[in-house]
Amino acid sequence: MRPVVTLDRVTKRYGDLVALDEVTLAVPQGRFVAVMGPSGSGKSTLLHCAAALDRPTSGTVKMGGTDVGRLSETKRTVLRRKHAGFVFQSYNLLPAISVQDNITLPLRLAGVRPDREWLDELVHRVGLRDRLHHKPAALSGGQQQRAAIVRALAARPDVVFADEPTGALDLRSAGQVLDLLRELVDELGQTVVMVTHDPAAATRAHETLVMADGRVIDVLDAPAPEELAVRLTRLAGGEPVR
Amino acid sequence: MIRIALAMARIGGLVVVFVAVLGGMALLTATGVIVDSGFRSQLPLRLVQAEVMVSARQSIPVKEDLPVALPERAPVPGSLVGVVREVPGVAAAVGDLSFPAAVVSGTSPPVPGGPATAGHGWSSLSLSGRLTAGRVPRGQDEISLRDGRLGERLRVVAGGRPATYRVTALVDAPGLYFSDAAAATLAGRTSGGRAGTVDLVAVRAAAGVSPDELARTLRQRLGDRYEIATGRYRSDAESPGAVAGRGLLLVLPGSIGGVSLMIVGFVVGGGLSLSINRQRRELALLRAAGATPRQVRRVVAVQGLAAAAPALAPGAALGYFLAARLGDLLVGIGALRADQPLVYGPLPAIAAALLLLGVVRVASWAASLRVSRMPVVSGVADLGEPSPFRTNAGLLLILASLVLSGAPLAVRTEAAAIGPATAAPLAVIGLALAGPRLVQRAAGALARSRFVARLSGPCWLAVHNTHGHALRTAGAVAALGMVVTLGLSVTLTQTTLAEARSAQAAPAMRGLVTITAPSLSGIPRGLLEEVRELTPAAGMVTTTVVTGPLAFADNPRLTARPVLGLGPDAEGLVDLDLVDGALSRLTGAAVALDEQVGRVGERLDVIMGDGARVEATVVATYRRGLAFGPIVVSRDLAAAHTTTGLDSAIMARPAALAPLLARWPAVEVTGATQGPQAGVASGQALVNLAVLAVLLAYLLVAVANRLVATTTARRDELDVLRRLGATPRQLRRMIRWEAVLIAAGASGAGIVLAAVPLVMLGIGFLSRPVPAGPLWLVPGSVLVVGLVVWLAVELPARRIR
Ligand SMILES: Nc1ncnc2c1ncn2[C@@H]1O[C@H](COP(=O)(O)OP(=O)(O)OP(=O)(O)O)[C@@H](O)[C@H]1O
Ligand SMILES: [Mg+2]
Repeated sequence: MRPVVTLDRVTKRYGDLVALDEVTLAVPQGRFVAVMGPSGSGKSTLLHCAAALDRPTSGTVKMGGTDVGRLSETKRTVLRRKHAGFVFQSYNLLPAISVQDNITLPLRLAGVRPDREWLDELVHRVGLRDRLHHKPAALSGGQQQRAAIVRALAARPDVVFADEPTGALDLRSAGQVLDLLRELVDELGQTVVMVTHDPAAATRAHETLVMADGRVIDVLDAPAPEELAVRLTRLAGGEPVR
Repeated sequence: MIRIALAMARIGGLVVVFVAVLGGMALLTATGVIVDSGFRSQLPLRLVQAEVMVSARQSIPVKEDLPVALPERAPVPGSLVGVVREVPGVAAAVGDLSFPAAVVSGTSPPVPGGPATAGHGWSSLSLSGRLTAGRVPRGQDEISLRDGRLGERLRVVAGGRPATYRVTALVDAPGLYFSDAAAATLAGRTSGGRAGTVDLVAVRAAAGVSPDELARTLRQRLGDRYEIATGRYRSDAESPGAVAGRGLLLVLPGSIGGVSLMIVGFVVGGGLSLSINRQRRELALLRAAGATPRQVRRVVAVQGLAAAAPALAPGAALGYFLAARLGDLLVGIGALRADQPLVYGPLPAIAAALLLLGVVRVASWAASLRVSRMPVVSGVADLGEPSPFRTNAGLLLILASLVLSGAPLAVRTEAAAIGPATAAPLAVIGLALAGPRLVQRAAGALARSRFVARLSGPCWLAVHNTHGHALRTAGAVAALGMVVTLGLSVTLTQTTLAEARSAQAAPAMRGLVTITAPSLSGIPRGLLEEVRELTPAAGMVTTTVVTGPLAFADNPRLTARPVLGLGPDAEGLVDLDLVDGALSRLTGAAVALDEQVGRVGERLDVIMGDGARVEATVVATYRRGLAFGPIVVSRDLAAAHTTTGLDSAIMARPAALAPLLARWPAVEVTGATQGPQAGVASGQALVNLAVLAVLLAYLLVAVANRLVATTTARRDELDVLRRLGATPRQLRRMIRWEAVLIAAGASGAGIVLAAVPLVMLGIGFLSRPVPAGPLWLVPGSVLVVGLVVWLAVELPARRIR
C-alpha cells in the first residue's frame, strides 16, 4: 500500500543529545501504528518529525509525497493542515471558544469550508452532539479528548498522530478513546500513529514500534499484551533486546 | 513558604508590579514633596540675628481643618516695641517695617521676597546685617543698600513714590534701608489707619537666655493676642505672603492627588492580578497539594512585596527629581517664588513607601481572594468569570457619574464644574470594575454576529479570544479608556471654564488697556491721577478676603478667595453686567456680589486679607461671576488692608499714553484684558495639566508593559494554535486584530464616558452642547491609545516565526 508518511534516516539532535538516531520508517495508508518505549527514548520527537511539526537535523521526511525538510514554517503548516491531524495528551482545546468552534478551528485557519455531514457523523460517533455549544472546561477529560479527535479528523487528514492520547484518562474513558481510534481505522480507513505507554492500548494497533535511545529497535505485528510487557520491562532494565 | 512563593513567581508578571510600584512611588513622592513644601517651604530669613519675633496673628483658626492663612500684613502697635524691650531677658527689640521699594535706574539684582517688601527702616539692620561702608542714612533722600556705590544717586520707587536718593552707606543685608523717619512715612505709618504701627517686633535675647525661654516669658507677658515665633517659624512671621502662597501648594496636588492615588492603586492591582493569573495553574496545584486558601494568599502577598520592595528606592529618587521639575514649573507660573525652594525631606518618600506597600498588600489580597478560594479541582482551564457584585458596583459608579455631570444644568457658578470634574474619575473607576463584563458582552455580541462568523480565521479568533478572555482583555481596555477619559475630561473642562471665563471677561473689559508695574509691586502713587487727566481710568486692587460659604458646593466653613477691589471710577469702564445697584456706590465697607450669591442691601461679614473683620453692605449685584468671582470689594476697603496699599493695575480707555509713561519707569501697558480670576485659574490649570500628563504617561507605560507581558505569556496558547495549523502570519494577524479591538474598545468607552460630562459642561457654561477645544484631542487620544497598543503588541508579535 502507498505510504502516507515516510522517514528516511531521520536524525534529530538537541545539542549533543541525539533524540532520534537515523530512523527510517514508512507508515502505510490505513494502518494503526503504536509507538512504545521507555521515557526519553524519542517517541514524541519521532511523532513531531513525522507530523512535520518539527524539522529533523538530517534525513528526509516526506508527507503526501513532499519533502518536508526544505519547506518554510508557513509552507510546512499549510502542508500539515492538509495531510495531518494531531491529538495531544492534554487535549489542547482552546478554553475561550466553544467545543464546536474548537473542532472547526483548523478548517477556519486553513480557510476551508467545513464538511457538515462529515462533522455531524464524527460528532455523532463520539457522542458529543449535545455538548457542542459548551466551553471545553465544562466537559470531562474523556469528552475533551474525543472532541480533540474530532478536531484532528475534521479536515479528513491522511494521517492522525496521537501522543499518549489516553495518558490523562481513567481506564474506562481511555478504553472509549482507543475503541474510537480503532473504529476510525477499520471503518473509515484512517491512518493513525499513536504513542502510548500502555501495552493494552498498543494491542489495539496493527503493529507496534518499540523505541530505545532514539532508535526503532523492534517492530511487532499485533503482539500479545504479555509479550509486549515483557519486552518493555527488559528494555527498562537496560538489557539487550536482541 | 517564602521560598516557595519566590520560586513560583513568574518574572513577567512581577516586572509589571515592579514598574507599577516604581512609577507610583515617583508620583506619590513628588506629590508628597509639594504637600510637605506647602506646610514648610520658607523664604530665607532676613532678620537673622533676631531670636524671637512678635507679630500679629496671620491666620484664622478653623475648626477641624487647617487654619486659613492671611496673606496681607497685619501690623502691631508701635508701643509694643517699648513693652517688649522692658521684658527681662530681652537684649534688644526693634520695630521692623517692610514696604514696597525698587531701584528703577539701572539694573539691580532682585530682592528676596520681591519688591513688595524690599524697603526697611535703618533700625532693622541691627538685626539683619551690618554697615560695611559709609554712614547711616539720615535725611529723607538718603538710602543704603548692598550692591551700589557710595554717593551714587539712584532713582527709587518706594512706598509707591518715585524719588531720587543718594547712597550713603553700604550694608551686607538684602533690601533697601532708609532712615527710620523716612521708612515710617513711606510705609504709611505716620497717618491713616496704620499710623504708629510696625510690622513686627524683632527681639534679640540677652546673653544666657535661650530663645525658647524668652518666647515663654513673652507669651506670659503679652498673652495670646500675638504670634511669638522662634526658630524656623521666624521666617513665617517675616513674610505672611509667603505662608499664604505656599498654602496654594496644598491645593494644587490636592485637586488631582485623589486621581493619582486611584491610578496608582489601579495599576499596581492590575499588575498583581496579571501575575496571579499567570500562576493560576501553579496556585491550583499548590491548593491540591494541601495549601489552605490563606497560605495561597500569603504566597501571592510575598511575591507582590518582593517585587515592590526593590522599586521603592529608585522610585523615590525619581520622585524627588520629578518634584524638582514640578517646582520649576510652579516657579514658572508664579505659584511659587524662585527664592522659596521646595522642601526635600525624607518624609514624603517614607509616607509614599508605606502607602504603596499598603496598596500592594491590599491589592494582592483582593486579587488573590478568588484564586485562593477556588475549588481544588477546577482552576486549571477555568478562565474566571467577573463577579456580579463587581459588575454592579461598576455600573452604579458610572450611573452616579452621569448624575453628577448634570450639575452645570442646575447651577451656573464656577463650583458647578466640580460635578463634571468628579464625574470623570468616578466613571473611570466604574469602567475598571464593570469592564470585564462589558467587554464580555460587547465581544460576545460581536462574536455571535453573522458578520464575524464569515471573517477569516485570525480575525475570527481575535474576536473570540477577546470574548473568552474578557478578564485579560478588560484590564487593558479599562486602563486605556482611563487615559482617554481623564485626558479629555480634565483638559477640556479646564479649557471650557477658561473660555466661559474669557467670554465674560472680554466684553467686561472691552476697549480698555491695562497699566501695571510688576517690578514695583503696584502702581506708583500719582500715576492714576495723571492718566485720568488724559482718559477715563479706574484703579484696581487685588487682594484676598475670607468669607463663609457663598455659593453651592463652597467650603461650609471659611474660604480665602482672591478678589478684586474696584471703586466708583470703574463705573462706565468695567462692565460687570449689573443686575441691580451701581458701582458708583462701591466706597467704604461695600461689596458687589454675583447675582446668584446675594441681593443689594444685604450685609455680608468679610474678613480682609490682614484679618480685619468688616461688615460690608452689598451695593450691587452682577452676572459676570465667572470672570470676576462671586465677590468684588470696594477699592478703599481693599487698599486699607493690603501689605503695600497700592493699586495693582489701572484700567483705562486707550489714549496717547506713551509720553506720560515715559516719565514713569517700570510701568507697562498691555492691551490684553483678562478677568482677574484668569491668572490664578490658568496657573492652577497648568499645574493640573502637567500632573495629569505625568499621570497619563505612567498609566500608558504601565498598560504597555502589561500588554507586552500578557502577549509574551501566551506562548503556550500560540503553540497550540500553531500545532492546529495556524501559520506564524496568521498568529501575528490574530494578535494585531486583538490589539485593534482593545484600542477600539478603549477609545470608544473612554470617549463616551468623557463626552457626557463635557456636553453638560458645554451646555451649562457655553450654552452649546460642545465643550471648548482643542477638539483634536479626541482623535489625538485615540491615536495615542492606538500607538501604545500597537507598539506593545507588535514587539512580541514580531518574535513569532
Ligand atoms: N526541546 C528539547 N530540547 C532539548 N532536549 C529535548 C527536547 N525535546 C526532547 N528532548 C530530549 O530528547 C529526548 C527524547 O525526548 P522525547 O520527548 O521524544 O521522549 P519520549 O520518548 O516522548 O519520552 P516520554 O515517554 O517521557 O514522553 C529526551 O532525552 C529529551 O530530554
Ligand atoms: Mg513524549
